[in-house]
Amino acid sequence: MKKIGRFLSSMPFAIGLLVLLAAACAFSSAVTQGQTYEYYTAQYGERTAGLIMALRLDDAYHSWWFIGLSAFLCLNLLCCNLIRLPVLLKRIRAFSEPDAAVSANAAAEAEGRGDVLKLFTALHMPKPHEGRDGLLYAARNRAGFWGAWVCHLGILMLILGFALGQVTMKQYTVYALPGQTKEIGDSGLTVTVDDFRISRTENGSVQQYMADLTVVDPVSGKQETGMAGVNAPANLFGYKFYQNSVGWGADVRVLENGKELQTEMLCVGEYFAVKDKPELVIFFQNFYPDYVSQAGSASQELKNPGYIYQAYYRGQILGMNVLLNGEVLTIDEYTVIFENPRNYTLLAVKRDGFAWLVLLGGLIVLAGLVLAFWIQPRTVCAVRQEEGWHVYGQCRKGGALFREEFLSAAEETGFRPCEKTEIKGEDV
Amino acid sequence: MLQAENTLFTITLIGYFALTALNFAFVILKKETLVKTAFCLQAGVLLLHTAALILRGIGAGHWPMTNQYEFATSFAWALCLVSLIFIRKYRFPVLGAFSSPLILLMIGYASMQNREVRELMPSLRSSWLAFHVSTAIIAYGSFGVAFVLSLIFLFRDRMNEDGFWGQHIPQQEKLDIISYRSVCLGMLFLTLTILTGAIWAEQAWGSYWSWDPKETWSLVTWIIYAIYLHQRLRRGWKGKAAAWFAVIGFICVIFTYIGVNTFLPGIHSYA
Repeated sequence: MKKIGRFLSSMPFAIGLLVLLAAACAFSSAVTQGQTYEYYTAQYGERTAGLIMALRLDDAYHSWWFIGLSAFLCLNLLCCNLIRLPVLLKRIRAFSEPDAAVSANAAAEAEGRGDVLKLFTALHMPKPHEGRDGLLYAARNRAGFWGAWVCHLGILMLILGFALGQVTMKQYTVYALPGQTKEIGDSGLTVTVDDFRISRTENGSVQQYMADLTVVDPVSGKQETGMAGVNAPANLFGYKFYQNSVGWGADVRVLENGKELQTEMLCVGEYFAVKDKPELVIFFQNFYPDYVSQAGSASQELKNPGYIYQAYYRGQILGMNVLLNGEVLTIDEYTVIFENPRNYTLLAVKRDGFAWLVLLGGLIVLAGLVLAFWIQPRTVCAVRQEEGWHVYGQCRKGGALFREEFLSAAEETGFRPCEKTEIKGEDV
Repeated sequence: MLQAENTLFTITLIGYFALTALNFAFVILKKETLVKTAFCLQAGVLLLHTAALILRGIGAGHWPMTNQYEFATSFAWALCLVSLIFIRKYRFPVLGAFSSPLILLMIGYASMQNREVRELMPSLRSSWLAFHVSTAIIAYGSFGVAFVLSLIFLFRDRMNEDGFWGQHIPQQEKLDIISYRSVCLGMLFLTLTILTGAIWAEQAWGSYWSWDPKETWSLVTWIIYAIYLHQRLRRGWKGKAAAWFAVIGFICVIFTYIGVNTFLPGIHSYA
């Protein structure tokens, strides 16, 4: 059991997993995700398409093997942190003990009759403590020992938060014209788009899309209102409403023998059945705001609206055409009029109860990196000798740079360097 | 304003060319005064480059980091800045001689891009743009310097200890730790880039992580450098092996920046 634990927490296992994850991500990014077998066959041929589907490379990041690799990485991080914690605590305690500092493999040593207190100051050390036999020692930046541990904890929280978010996330898509009310999937809520505006710059390019929303819980009768814009989602009933996209829609009026029969608010791609005659269906296929014959739309400005419709009777197509402003479609006693074209808003509605965990994990990773890279634990210890002092200095992650700094400070304060000391053990 | 930026950019380009030529002369003639002059020139060109970027920002009405040209010129600026900081901090003036060709390549790439100012799409009109892209630029600049240091490391053992280069280039042990520090700086800023990008994506698109190719390759780059940092803890993996990893890491950085935009379009296609 111990052996398994040691293997799961080991560095070679971690590195192996990281290599596999990097390779998996790189390889999967080259395969278009979420496509069908037919698509891959057309792109890469039948044999490769079969391989892609068998290995779930079509949805690689949700495949069993990718989830498995991530799970093993979590296990590795967890085991590593659990096993290292007591070792780490012991090491931190030992770091500021003078005996340990002397017996440790010093990164640099100097000796002589120089001013030892000045040397401590030159090395930015706090006021040294006095140990037995007049020994002086000081340690600082012990927090740096926690860097990798904190970083691992953050990554663990991040992956966990992401996984929990993926499993528990609620997300819906709603599109509606201003004035329309739609149900939000199975959330039990309804959303009304009170208004939808597009602000433009002087050059005419879009600056912001803004949708005024009212969300109602029909059971409790409670309602909340807010505005959703790009980069500014509305937070209503614990759901976030994102302004995701826009499209065109219009009012479609149906007259029966000249009398108003019904009016429908229709977005492009929607259809409706005529009241009293459900076999007759009108499909709003497309809309051109600036219709030009054969060319489609000359611009996105609402200059010459063209409505592409299809009419069906008992599933059979009766006809399709373009209706321009003022033109009507007549089918027997029914007259169909498209009018009042305007933009609809497409909203993404989401609730991710674990996004905070991901953010917290990310911030902890950052804190861990700062601790690991910039807070370098260092200790300096001076032992009184007959000819003066023998000074030892140690800085984890300092390496040759610390040795240079130490020896330069030592020379400035009247010491001479000892023979070059070998650094053993972990330096980084 | 943009006309002035255009002129300043051209002067900057010439400045970087002169810098590389001066450094090349130093490599050939081995005269110490040349490398000192090169340091002053690099600082001067950096100031001009900064002014060009500020003018671009004022002229465009947004942070100059929204298309290939703006990112490339900012990338070159960051390379220049980080290399100057490292030259000064670690008293290693010869670093400039090796980093200037990389800066010239990047500014040359910028000069080949379309310099037209385009209106920003609504999702890019966010204060997160400055944080997200500027951290990416610093990260890339740091990885670039680590790449240069690793190349110097790999060629260092071919240099005669008593010769000119042996005296002007630090020992491999020191080169290794400076390169490590540069990777550390890059790693911190790359993490910040990914984090700020995730927060921004959550606000703009409703999803903090979409496995978009740019995001995925940023993660791949992050993992490569994470492997580099872990490998250094293992005995026998410092030095040459670490230097090779830093080189591979920078190839990933370049692929994330240029390769992804060229071969793997996604929601970052404007970048």
